[in-house]
Amino acid sequence: MLLPLLILLVALCVALGGWAAWFVVKDRPVILNQLWGGAIVEGVLIAQAITAAIRSATHGPPSDPLLFWGYMATSLVILPVAAAWAFAERTKWSSVVLLVAALTVGFLNYRLWQIWTGV
Amino acid sequence: MSGPASSARRGAARSTATGFGRVLVTVYGILAFAALGRSSYELVAKFGEAPVAYALSALAAVVYVVATVALALGASPGWRRVAWVAVGVEAVGVLTVGTASLVSRDVFGESTVWSLFGQGYGYVPLVLPFVGLWWLWHTRGPAAHGDRGPDPSDGSEETTA
Repeated sequence: MLLPLLILLVALCVALGGWAAWFVVKDRPVILNQLWGGAIVEGVLIAQAITAAIRSATHGPPSDPLLFWGYMATSLVILPVAAAWAFAERTKWSSVVLLVAALTVGFLNYRLWQIWTGV
Repeated sequence: MSGPASSARRGAARSTATGFGRVLVTVYGILAFAALGRSSYELVAKFGEAPVAYALSALAAVVYVVATVALALGASPGWRRVAWVAVGVEAVGVLTVGTASLVSRDVFGESTVWSLFGQGYGYVPLVLPFVGLWWLWHTRGPAAHGDRGPDPSDGSEETTA
């Protein structure tokens, strides 16, 4: 894992969550552009997973590899599933779903960093 | 009052998966995934260390998965019944395990999803079952009013029309 990627990722998650929260306030459902935003977050997530895999292969695995990759898998799955689940609902509640998903992914990556650095 | 749910039959219970239910199923899904990951990790890597704690975590994971599926498919009476049972077990579980872990920290040998009322998960496991029970109650069919149409104010409108 790379610290700049983590910072970028958490910032993107907060931005996406803020966008969704704004839509909750405005009583609007999730729009396609927000799903593209989610796709960008997912792209950074995948990049982070690849750096973690390469680093594990060359410098040895994280202190608790099973836990680490379990968290990583969870964080990769949440956004695509939540996006599909949210988009099928055409009320403001879909925006709440996106908000919850974005914050969860951000938090999970903070936890991933803790496991990675052995805190 | 917001719009009526698109129930197939008149007077049927509303789906548990729409509106606020979307959010509830999302939170259940995330917790189910987290609990399932945690539990399989514990069962594979260190079950012998604290069998009771890890069995409880496994039970919690199963309950969350069943509750997620049942709430997501909660338009049918069958799945609604399953959801009642799963969420009920969840409420009893978090209260029992939470209280036991508070009385004696090491009662189960290791911490579980429900230890200290789900402190490790931001107390979401403590709040969630009661929100779930409320939601199931809230979306139940209007049994007491018999077979009414989606708009109960039909009758009173006629005098002004």
